[in-house]
Amino acid sequence: MLGIISVKKTIKYGFLAIMLLAGIYSCSTEIDINTTNQDTPIVYCILNTADSFQYVRLQKTYLIEQAALDYPPHPDSIIFPGEIVVSLERWQNDKVVETFRFKPTMDIPKDTGFFPTEKNILYQAKARILPEQLYRLYIYIGSKEKVLYAETHTLGSLKVVDPIPLSVRKVSLYEGNNYTCRWEPVSKAGVYQVMVRFNYNETKDGVTTLKSLNWPQGYSNPGSNIEYLSKDISGARFMHILDEALKAEPGVVREAVNVDFQILSGGVELRYYIESTAPSEGALMEKPVYTNVTNGIGLFSSMAEVNVTGLLLSSVTLDSLAFGVYTRDLGFLDHTGDRDSTNNLIE
Amino acid sequence: MKIRSLLFTMIAGLFLMTACDPDPVDPNGNGNGENETPKIVGTLEVEFRVPGSFLPPSRVLRADLSIAKNAEDLYRGHYLQVANVYNSKLIYQFDLAPGSYYYQAGIVCIAEGDSCSAAGFPGGKFGMKWAVGTATVKENGTTRVIPQFTR
Repeated sequence: MLGIISVKKTIKYGFLAIMLLAGIYSCSTEIDINTTNQDTPIVYCILNTADSFQYVRLQKTYLIEQAALDYPPHPDSIIFPGEIVVSLERWQNDKVVETFRFKPTMDIPKDTGFFPTEKNILYQAKARILPEQLYRLYIYIGSKEKVLYAETHTLGSLKVVDPIPLSVRKVSLYEGNNYTCRWEPVSKAGVYQVMVRFNYNETKDGVTTLKSLNWPQGYSNPGSNIEYLSKDISGARFMHILDEALKAEPGVVREAVNVDFQILSGGVELRYYIESTAPSEGALMEKPVYTNVTNGIGLFSSMAEVNVTGLLLSSVTLDSLAFGVYTRDLGFLDHTGDRDSTNNLIE
Repeated sequence: MKIRSLLFTMIAGLFLMTACDPDPVDPNGNGNGENETPKIVGTLEVEFRVPGSFLPPSRVLRADLSIAKNAEDLYRGHYLQVANVYNSKLIYQFDLAPGSYYYQAGIVCIAEGDSCSAAGFPGGKFGMKWAVGTATVKENGTTRVIPQFTR
């Protein structure tokens, strides 16, 4: 009988002791939400058929103890130490016909922003990329003993119909007059974009500087069974853009020089990436970012571009810049080279 | 009885006051367009044909199409409108107030060697030919012109 009582007591005190211990530990409010850093490789490479040099950007994920959006990482924490081997292969009929080895370079500065600009290591190779070919990218990371792999089919040739590099053909961009860019559909292309660059001279305190204003147009998707693809550049919007981008300053004189057109086409992978990183509309707020890199994340795609540069603006466009409702305070010279709107009467 | 008649008078007064309130006037004149006088315009339609020659069609291109109010403005380059011309577009339209206008159309030769001179383009490559004419634009009407180039 005494033995039974003793066992009961032991169980009772043991239970109490467990509850007490559980109570003590449950009072801890510290929870470790960080896992160990995975050092996931991040790769970006867009092969450009219009360029003789190709570039690969390789970085990695990082982990810091502070709020990630408030504290930029240390430059060393976003690059892999040790051996890195980057190579590109061109394949034809299931055989490698060309191989390019990339070398690290720090010649190209990184844009300023949240991430550190020091140690901007890119991998560069002198490689002429051929249209409509299969390319495979391999990256060996020594510190992780890992090989990353991605492949893409390069785009066909981009043929631009309008504009053509003809200096006597002036460009008119003013309210009520738009310019239409046209190009032939490119095989394997997933997205297109037109960029307009407006070049002008700005004279301030007797010093003249050539300046440019880039005006990227919205993305265009490929159509089906059409002869030409086109993008309308709005003349009214052009004047608005100048009004928004340039500051009216007393004593500053500006003179329109010319406009450049850059027509770009990108692969389907680039289109998927753009769509996956675009702001969400609707219920799905968190979209997974597209990747086509095995053993890592990132993008390997191709692009083609055509540049038509140095096209002159029509006299009506120059006069609209000088005296138009949106831009008249910006100090642009008219088509006669001054700002006297009575030229017509005194000549 | 007095209260009822007072109420009735107040309601009637409010009704009259509201009824007398004219439409609010936007001091900046930014109306919705209903009361604006529509601009009277007509259309000048230019059928910009590139004349055929022994040169391939891809070597003679449209270069310029401008409209001016009179011959002097055209000569001085004081245009009212300048069209964006394209290889693939034949018809160009201009919305203009009724009246008479001058137009000029230019074509350019981009063939190599002495081909352009042989085809009558002065100065050889990048030589241009011009066609100048007049047109009368009528209210709400379309006037069509076809520039004529010399051979």
